[in-house]
Amino acid sequence: MDLFQLEMKVNGEAVSVPVNPGLRLLDVLRDVLHLSGTKEGCGEGECGACSVIIDGELVDSCLVLAPQAHNREIITIEGISADGELDTLQSAFLEAGAVQCGYCTPGMILAAKVLLSKNPKPGRQDIARGIAGNLCRCTGYAKIIKAVELAAAGLQQKEGEAGV
Amino acid sequence: MSETSIVGKTVLRVDGPAKVRGESRYGADIDIPGALFLKVLRSEVPHGLVKRIDAAEALKIPGVVRVFTHADVPGENSYGIIVKDQPALTDKVRFRGDALALVAAETDVAAKRALEVIKVEIEELPPLYDVWAAMDEKAPEIHAKGNILTVSRVKKGDVDAALETAAVVVSRRYTTQRVEHCYIETEAGVAYMDDDTLVIKAGTQNPHYDRRDVSRVLGLPINRVRIVQSATGGGFGGKLDISVQCFLGLAALKLGRPVRIVYDRRESIIATGKRHPFFVEYTSAATKEGKLLAVKAKIVGDTGAYASYGPATLNRAAVHATGPYEVLNVDIKALCVYTNNPFSGAMRGFGTPQMAFVAESQMDLLAQALQLSPLEIRRRNVLRPGSLTATGQRLDKSVGIGATLEAAWEKACQVMPGLGGEAR
Ligand code: FES
Ligand code: FES
Repeated sequence: MDLFQLEMKVNGEAVSVPVNPGLRLLDVLRDVLHLSGTKEGCGEGECGACSVIIDGELVDSCLVLAPQAHNREIITIEGISADGELDTLQSAFLEAGAVQCGYCTPGMILAAKVLLSKNPKPGRQDIARGIAGNLCRCTGYAKIIKAVELAAAGLQQKEGEAGV
Repeated sequence: MSETSIVGKTVLRVDGPAKVRGESRYGADIDIPGALFLKVLRSEVPHGLVKRIDAAEALKIPGVVRVFTHADVPGENSYGIIVKDQPALTDKVRFRGDALALVAAETDVAAKRALEVIKVEIEELPPLYDVWAAMDEKAPEIHAKGNILTVSRVKKGDVDAALETAAVVVSRRYTTQRVEHCYIETEAGVAYMDDDTLVIKAGTQNPHYDRRDVSRVLGLPINRVRIVQSATGGGFGGKLDISVQCFLGLAALKLGRPVRIVYDRRESIIATGKRHPFFVEYTSAATKEGKLLAVKAKIVGDTGAYASYGPATLNRAAVHATGPYEVLNVDIKALCVYTNNPFSGAMRGFGTPQMAFVAESQMDLLAQALQLSPLEIRRRNVLRPGSLTATGQRLDKSVGIGATLEAAWEKACQVMPGLGGEAR
C-alpha cells in the first residue's frame, strides 16, 4: 500500500511522517508518535477517551483517518502542560478529586479545555453538555463538573490579576 | 482523639499528577520494542466439545509466528479464584466466547487474519441458557461435578411458625439482570522473559492471585512468575479474574519473545465476567404494627460458564438477604448455578445490590399492605446497636442505618417542598 506523507502540527511542533492511510489518527498519535496519553476505550466514537483538539474543536481521534488530519493543528493531553507546569484544568481535576482510574481523564480535560475556550463562565448545565461525549465509569461526574467550575473560576481570577 | 496525618484529611492521590498529564502507563501504553501481537480465537457456539483445531492455513500467513491451543498448555489447564474450573485455552466450550486458540504474530493485522482461517470442529451440545433448565436433573452437565456449584444457607428461629402468626405475608418473585462492568480501559498488557523469570505487566485488581494461577497454568514455580500491575483503567470487580495474563505468559514463555495484547471493546464485553443475574423467590411476614417476623427466600444466581467469584457472591447474597433490618426468623437458601451464559463474578457489592432491590421492594409492599408509610415501616425495623443480624451476630458498636434514614428524610423534605406536610 502506498504510504501517505502526513504533515500536521502536534502540540505546537511540526510533524511529517509517512503513514498507512488506513490508520486512524488515534493510531498515529499512539503508535507512531508514542503519545500514549490519548486512550482508546471503544474505537467507535462512544466514549471520548480518544478525544483530541483539532483546530480548536474536540474530536474523537478514533473516528479520524490519518489523511484527514493533514495540515491540521492537533493538541493532545501531552500538549497542555507545556514547560512542565500543570494547566489550570489539570490542577483543578487533582484538587477536586475528579481523577480516579484516570483513563477518561485526558479526554475529559481536553473536552473541558474546549468548553472553557468557548464559554469561560459555564453553568453546570453547560459543563454537563460540554463533557457529554466523554464517558467516565468511576467518578459519577459530580467531581468532574466541580473541577471544571474550579478551573473556570481560577482562569477568571488569573485574567483579573493580569488586568485583562 | 489524637491528630493523624491522613485520616479525616483530603489527600492528593499519588498517581494523580501523572494521570492528568497523560503520562500513566496502562496495559496498552507500555513500550515494548519487538513485541509480538497476540489475538484470541473465541468460540461462536455456547456449548460443545472441541474435536479438532487446524491452524495450517493461519501459519502460512506472513508474520504469523505461532498458534497455541489447549494442547500447548504446559501446566494444569484450569484457573479460578475460588474454584479452578476455567481453562486458559479450552477443549470444551462452555459459553460463546470461550478461548479456543491464541495467535502470536509480528503485526496486529496478521494476527487478525490468522483468526479468520483457523478451522475448528466442535461437536455441539445442547446449550443451557437459564438456571432452571440447568438445575433439571436431566440437564447435560456443563462441568463434571454437575450444574449446581454451591448452596449457601442462613437459618435462624422458626420461619414456618412465624408465618402462621403473622398479620401480613407478602410473597413475590424477582429477577435482576446481567450487568457488564464496562470500565473504560479494556484488558491489556505485555509480557517478556527476564532471564528465566516471566514478567507480566497488565491491568489487574488481583496481582497476587494472578501470579498463582499463571504459575499453575504454565507449570512454572511461583518464584519465576512476576506480575506487575500497570495503571488500571477501572475494574469494579471485573479485573479480579484472569483475562489476558495466561495468554501473555504462555506466549512469552514458549516463544522467548516479548508479547502484547489489547482487547477491543467487543472482546472485553464477550470474554469477561458480569454481575450475576438473580432469580429470587421471597416471602416476608410482619405483625400488624409492622415489625418484621420472618423472611424466607430462595436465591438462584446465574454464574454462567465459570465459577469466578460466584460462590462468594451467593454467600454474600444469603447473608444480606434481609437487608438492614432485624428479622427474628430467617430461612435463606442461595444457589450458585452454572449455565452456558457469559460467566459472572465480582461486581461492586457481590450480590448485595441485587438483594437490596428485593428486600426494599418487599418493605414497600409490606408498608402498602399495612397502610404504613415506607419510611415508618423501615424506622420500626432497622438494625440498631444491640440488634441481632440474620446470621446471629450481635451488633454492639455503631449501626448507621437509622440515623441515615432520618437524615435522608430531612434532606428530602428540604429539596422536595410539600413532602413533609403529609402525616408521616
Ligand atoms: S475510543 Fe474513540 S470514542 Fe471511544
Ligand atoms: S476516572 Fe475512571 S473512567 Fe473516569
